[in-house]
Amino acid sequence: MLTRKTILSRLFLAAVLFSQPFRSLHAQSRLSIDKVYSAYLRNSGSILEKGRIKGYFFLYQSDKIDRHTNEYTLQILDENLNKVKNIKFEDSKKLSLLESAYNGSTISFLFKNEDNKTLDMKIYDFDGKMKYAYSREFDKKTDDLMKQYETLHTDEGMNKNVFDLGDEGFVSVLPMREGKARTYEVDFYSSQTKKQWTYVPSDDAEKYAFAEYLGCTDSLIILEVMKRNHALSGDVTSHLVGINFVTKKKQFDIDNINDTKIMVPSSVTPMDGTGNIMVMGSFFEKGDNIVKDFSKGLAIYEISTAGKVLTKTYNTWAGDFARYLPTNSKGKIDEVGFLYIHKLIRTPDHKLFVVGEGYKRQANAAGIALAVLARGNTPMGVTKIVVTDMVIMEFDDKYKVRNATIYDKTNNTAIASNISDYNSQHLLANYLKMTGAFDYEFTTGDEGNANFAVCYSDWVRSSDYKGQTFNSIRYNGKKFTTDKIELKSKASTLRVFPAKAGSIMILEYYKKDKRLDFRLEKLG
Amino acid sequence: MDDGEMIAPPLKSMKNLRFEPRHSGFLFVFTSLIVSLLLLLGAPFADAQGSDFSPLKEDSGALLRLLGACQRTYEEELDQIPSKNRKDFLEVYNERWENVKAKFDKQEIYTSVVAQEYLDALVAEITKANPVLRGHPFRCYFSRSGIPNASYIGEGVILFNMGLFQRLDNESEAAWVLCHEISHFLLRHQENGIAKYVATINSEEVQAELHKIKGSEYRKRERLQSLVKGMTFDSRRHSRDHEAQADSMGVELLRNTPYALSGALTALALLDKIDADSLNMAVCLPQLFNSKDYPFQKRWLAKEEGLLGGHAHIGKEGIEDSLKTHPDCLLRMRVLTPVINRIAATGSATFVVDEKRFAELQRIFRYEGIEYAYVSKAYSQSLFLTMDLLRKRPADAYLVAQVGRLLNELYLAQKAHMLSRVTDLPSPEYPANYNLLLQFIQNLYMEDLAAISFYYLDQYHPQLDHYSAFKNAYDQSVRSMKP
Repeated sequence: MLTRKTILSRLFLAAVLFSQPFRSLHAQSRLSIDKVYSAYLRNSGSILEKGRIKGYFFLYQSDKIDRHTNEYTLQILDENLNKVKNIKFEDSKKLSLLESAYNGSTISFLFKNEDNKTLDMKIYDFDGKMKYAYSREFDKKTDDLMKQYETLHTDEGMNKNVFDLGDEGFVSVLPMREGKARTYEVDFYSSQTKKQWTYVPSDDAEKYAFAEYLGCTDSLIILEVMKRNHALSGDVTSHLVGINFVTKKKQFDIDNINDTKIMVPSSVTPMDGTGNIMVMGSFFEKGDNIVKDFSKGLAIYEISTAGKVLTKTYNTWAGDFARYLPTNSKGKIDEVGFLYIHKLIRTPDHKLFVVGEGYKRQANAAGIALAVLARGNTPMGVTKIVVTDMVIMEFDDKYKVRNATIYDKTNNTAIASNISDYNSQHLLANYLKMTGAFDYEFTTGDEGNANFAVCYSDWVRSSDYKGQTFNSIRYNGKKFTTDKIELKSKASTLRVFPAKAGSIMILEYYKKDKRLDFRLEKLG
Repeated sequence: MDDGEMIAPPLKSMKNLRFEPRHSGFLFVFTSLIVSLLLLLGAPFADAQGSDFSPLKEDSGALLRLLGACQRTYEEELDQIPSKNRKDFLEVYNERWENVKAKFDKQEIYTSVVAQEYLDALVAEITKANPVLRGHPFRCYFSRSGIPNASYIGEGVILFNMGLFQRLDNESEAAWVLCHEISHFLLRHQENGIAKYVATINSEEVQAELHKIKGSEYRKRERLQSLVKGMTFDSRRHSRDHEAQADSMGVELLRNTPYALSGALTALALLDKIDADSLNMAVCLPQLFNSKDYPFQKRWLAKEEGLLGGHAHIGKEGIEDSLKTHPDCLLRMRVLTPVINRIAATGSATFVVDEKRFAELQRIFRYEGIEYAYVSKAYSQSLFLTMDLLRKRPADAYLVAQVGRLLNELYLAQKAHMLSRVTDLPSPEYPANYNLLLQFIQNLYMEDLAAISFYYLDQYHPQLDHYSAFKNAYDQSVRSMKP
């Protein structure tokens, strides 16, 4: 959709690793260092700790060792773009770095080695020395995961499958597929001792299950799991699953089956001082089909670490939200469409802000014309899905909605294929999320979220400016302000990364000069 | 390129910035008390007369004339370049010329007639005592850079940074700095280095090895690394051999002058400590920027635990000394001390030209360094230098206005998403207190910058309104405060 989202993954850099100690010479028969040697940037990304930016990694191919092996240099920068370490190692020439996370004492990197067909987790210490390396094979079962990495990150620069568990280590949640069965595995990697274990769900229902990591506490990994139980009705059920990484067992599985309302969790956040967890998601009436039917509103639960639901609060589209937003009973907001919840932010003064983005189906003029000409035989849909405005909702300490504001942006086309003609709103939202089609990018804030900025991209077509913009809605503890950065640049490619609180990192690559520039800019 | 420098050059990277605020702890506490008292009284005042400093308007015509003279030297040098590997020589010399030219184009060269006359007189004392220097076309200028440095930059140009001059104790130290740089020029350290490099890179052995490496598919980096290890010329800023040679010759030049030879040793001792960091930013920032209507917030100084144990840290292997603006000073002193002790020097004076002028220039240079950092859009550096001087002169209108002016510029830069172009980012290479100032700037949002500037300047309004620099800064801060 946007050029930013098609950033090339392989940038050519001349002599990046040689810090210019040599003059370049251009006599025809004479050679200079920069004519003899080049390094290639293979991957780059953010290093996160509890969802907060701690630095960046750049993986360069710095040499070829033999037919099968390359030398790599992993350059680590801190949050202020200072070089922390250069780690050199040799590995398969078919190596890519998928994700990285930091837990305060060690840094983990998940590599994909296509030669060995392994996923390698390497954990490094303060001095840049490798402490532990864990390896697991990947095969057809993990095809979905690989496809996920090949597609675009949903939240630009943010992790999808690797997360830190504080001092304990790291966890990755991997989708698995075998035949018609779709399930998941949770890999735990210790950073304290050489210890790794895998949680494999064992009940029948989880033979058709999708899991998404929502967060962790000091002992729990919390997942949202959607299951289809063929032994029962075949309907999809939503579960909040807690896996205890100390006991290595499932701690709880909350499914709402016996409840009058069903919640589909989408976000969790630990609650300060209580040890409890706050969970938010859409809710449905008992008997509703959570895939096909419209949600009734948003639910917020407080649960204990044992999985006991302590409080339940519901805000309905038709009642509560309608006071602040022009919504109908189906949860559709005028002009905005349906709302996808991206982020839940709790501030030190116990306010709760929820970040949503609208999406809706529209007639696709080009698709209709093509359908007429091709007598319906076209992959282009007669409808298309557009992502619309950003919505920020404020909840009080009783979790009741107290305000909601729509932030206008362009209706950007997200899906123009016939996928949009046949699927329900939920499946479409999941598809949009999976393919990175939403404009929401990330939220950056200081510890405790007294200040935070919700960031999203847009495509502006005005008389003053036509092109990509990067936008923020910033909360300073009292009020929201907006900011817009026009991203037109002379660079061949430009990419915006999340950065330390209140800032973004802009990476620009100048192909002609073979130059990579990166800078931090504060959001206004 | 900078082989002829006495010390690390500040050419491109602001990472070379080093400060050495030389104030006693007592003085700091005393001035801090004054500032605190003034703030407590709620009506701090500045010098009603404004400031006894106003920035020098650079003389563009003079700069052009000086540049023209340098260009003639450059062209003469080009005529003397050997025909063998001429293209390579031209490329390096051209690069050096561009650097020299930039010093004039960016108005780094200080064109004050009084200052230049003083520097010329100092140089004249050296050339008068050393007939060997006659006929050698070198020129010395003050650079407005606040970095404590001096350098021979090529084309016969020696720069004496204000940041170094203002920290010296007497003329004999200044004379030794000049003798050292003149020695680099006389010994043709840069030119010899260039020639050696061009010859090496074009030698049959190196070219043969480069061709071999180019033709090979594997282990290119490893082989290149081992090849370049043998090359003697690189861009390392501290060529120890050259420094030792320049020290020795510098002493030989200085011994013939009326100046005390001990100036060489005291200057080196001073350089060794020049990075000492005494401006206590954790105290200074809340003192300056706390107001009743916009109280200083803890979070403005908060530093997050960074990657791998704090902000990036530097490796341990003897790096501490190499990070200094002037490494190896103690070693150089050890080598020079017996030499100086053996020499029967002719002079013993610490001042010859003009002690009063020396002190007056030191005073002005503190301000000019602030102004030059400002016009160069190095706002965080300018703010640091301003705060440092403000400790001693809390009532100085120029400094008060400058704080406001810088905060306003930071506000405008943040608004235009250009903050990264005008301020440094915290880095392990900077002194701790400068890093804290950088962290402070990073932690501020636009509304903070606007309010801090406004409430800071408002303390001096309307007393300083007659001072145009203040009035402009104040008016801008009022505009920034409007939603």
